[in-house]
Amino acid sequence: MTMPSSRPSSWRAHGTPAHVVSRRSFGALAAAAAGAATLSACSSGPRTADPNAPLRIMAINHVWSQAIAEYLPEFEEQIGRRVSMRLLTADQLSNSYNVKLNASATDIDVMMVRALQEQILFTRNGWLADLTDRVEGDAAYDWADFQEAPRERSITAGTVVSVPIVTERPALYYRRDLLEDFGGAPATLDEMLEISLELADRNNGFFGYVGRGQRSGAVTQWSSFLYSFGGDFTIDGESGIGTPEAIAAYEFYGRLLAETGPPGVTNMSLEQAMPIFAQGKAAFYIDADAIYSNFLDPGISTVIDTVGFAPFPAGPAGSVPHNIPSWSLGINRFSLLQDDAWEFIRWISGPEMVARLQAGGIPGARQSAWDDQATLTSFPEDLAESMRVNAENGKGTDRPDVIQVGRARDIVGRPLVAGITGASVPPVAADADSEFSDFLIRDNRQREF
Amino acid sequence: MSTVTTVGAPSVSSPTKRPTAARRRRGRRRLWSWLRGVTIAVVCLLVALPIIWMIAAAFKTNVQVTDPSVGLVFSPTLENFRNAFADGAILGSMLNSLIVGVLSTVLSAILAVPAAWAVGRFSMGRTGSLVLVARIVPAISLLVPWYYLFAQIGLVGSYTVLVLSHMFVAVPLILWIMIGFFEGLPIELEEAARTDGLSAFGSFLRIALPLAAPGTAAAAVLAFIGSWNNFMFALILADENTLTMPVTLFNFISYASTDWGGLMAAATLMTVPVILAAIFGQRYLVAGLTAGATKG
Repeated sequence: MTMPSSRPSSWRAHGTPAHVVSRRSFGALAAAAAGAATLSACSSGPRTADPNAPLRIMAINHVWSQAIAEYLPEFEEQIGRRVSMRLLTADQLSNSYNVKLNASATDIDVMMVRALQEQILFTRNGWLADLTDRVEGDAAYDWADFQEAPRERSITAGTVVSVPIVTERPALYYRRDLLEDFGGAPATLDEMLEISLELADRNNGFFGYVGRGQRSGAVTQWSSFLYSFGGDFTIDGESGIGTPEAIAAYEFYGRLLAETGPPGVTNMSLEQAMPIFAQGKAAFYIDADAIYSNFLDPGISTVIDTVGFAPFPAGPAGSVPHNIPSWSLGINRFSLLQDDAWEFIRWISGPEMVARLQAGGIPGARQSAWDDQATLTSFPEDLAESMRVNAENGKGTDRPDVIQVGRARDIVGRPLVAGITGASVPPVAADADSEFSDFLIRDNRQREF
Repeated sequence: MSTVTTVGAPSVSSPTKRPTAARRRRGRRRLWSWLRGVTIAVVCLLVALPIIWMIAAAFKTNVQVTDPSVGLVFSPTLENFRNAFADGAILGSMLNSLIVGVLSTVLSAILAVPAAWAVGRFSMGRTGSLVLVARIVPAISLLVPWYYLFAQIGLVGSYTVLVLSHMFVAVPLILWIMIGFFEGLPIELEEAARTDGLSAFGSFLRIALPLAAPGTAAAAVLAFIGSWNNFMFALILADENTLTMPVTLFNFISYASTDWGGLMAAATLMTVPVILAAIFGQRYLVAGLTAGATKG
């Protein structure tokens, strides 16, 4: 028997019989086996859905998704197939789509998407199925019943790729008890600023106005200020954020938050700003009307009895808020259950279900539902009126209409932060305008479907 | 008298000088000790504060959580824990996390511990470095090809895919902790075992492995904690039946609001097993992580 020497390296020489596969050969064999397995898996040809496979819906954790959960058994009975719904946050949903659809995933059938944030990108990537014939070829579905602004946002590159299910406008949330002496809610932005300055007692932790101040997060709510000052993100395809109207909107919003808002507001988005108003520490708050229930929930709010709702105040160009489809439904182009997925969308966004959901407090996109007073009884009276007025005056977008929306929001949000921090807005806006112009040129080049 | 005075003078002055120097030394020691205590207290507070805040928030209402004027003095409520348990998702996902964590840790240890011994004993440095690449490559960049492959073979949504993906992270971790550990063990013990007739693997199994138990335990605890907290793999590769705890926590965050109380209650529940694992494994963790430090 040969004994190993004292050094481990000699063990290898001693213990490796000639017939044993070397490490290099083993690696090559393993790689070949993995390659063969991959190829065989990839070449399995056209696949059909398992009859027992559930219809899979990927959705955001939203009051809409929570509300429809109780109606799903009705639909399951109708199509004879189980429905499985997975709820995620907006960012997680986006990440999941990006990973799974890049790999042509078939385990997503119905997709909840933000038409204004990612629809162009998803369409360009070929992830959303064309719904044009389905929505237009079904008289009972009544596609024309959808409000014009949300309906237009469902179309990308000439095809309908999504159906709006939840709409949003900005609401002016205000403290009725504090505004009594001022004759109620302000009708104009100037009035709101004046009252905010008068009511703010920042040293004692009370603020005139609270709102989003985060660079990217604030852009969507600021859009209504921009429109009401007569500006827009783009004008004839060119950057519009360097115009006098946009600069005035930047300066106004900056002053409102800098002089009457809470400290650290440039780090605040919805999650941080909303609780400040809910705790009774601000006189005004402008944000999506979809979040109104937070102020009526005793577990969260201390202003249940004092909160009031009003339409967006008028600026120099009138009251021009956004009226957007915040969430829409689409069908994964790789889904093996596209017909069932459409049946689901047809059912949940049909006139009857939209009216039922709206009666439960979820604002939809169908005009017939808005015309039916019964669907508005679940909303506080002044909120319902504010929604109606804002929907009438609203524009269909609240952010730049581009492929890389996140990058665009970062650029547009830069002068916003400058205004809040007290820096001079015009030079920052001019710089951002130049950057946004370059960005738009690059973004347009990518719009090849 | 004068003699007494002359002699007595140094004898009086000397004892007064010595206590002064001793007092100074004692004073300096006391100051250092005090400074050290304060530093430790500040560091402990910084580390513990988020955990204290999390536990306190778990017993508050949402109004109290978001009100900065409510500190640690409040009327506690168990409502958040009741809500967290109400739909059963938390318990189910805790079980899933436990299954995936235990399986991936055990299987990783079975693979990585012998591998670490081989790398340490047979000077397979390049092989060790190759395995480390798995830790260098960002996990997100692997998810698309992984998802594609696993979807093609029908594994997405199963425990298998979660265990395999977690092993991808755990194997290099255990391997590299254990390489140092095995290199620190005296080789003479294994040589003696070989002399007595054990095979190379036998000497690993009967001699090196028992001696490396503290290192294995430390590596396993760290691998389990890593698996328990892993979010990204479960987000993409799990389905509704196999979702793990970190993903389920996000059920408390919705589009327009966050249930902070519920979220903190669930986070507290999620933290408890990790703290328990750390407490029980502490002895091994310290021994395991410092092993090899005095090698040579």
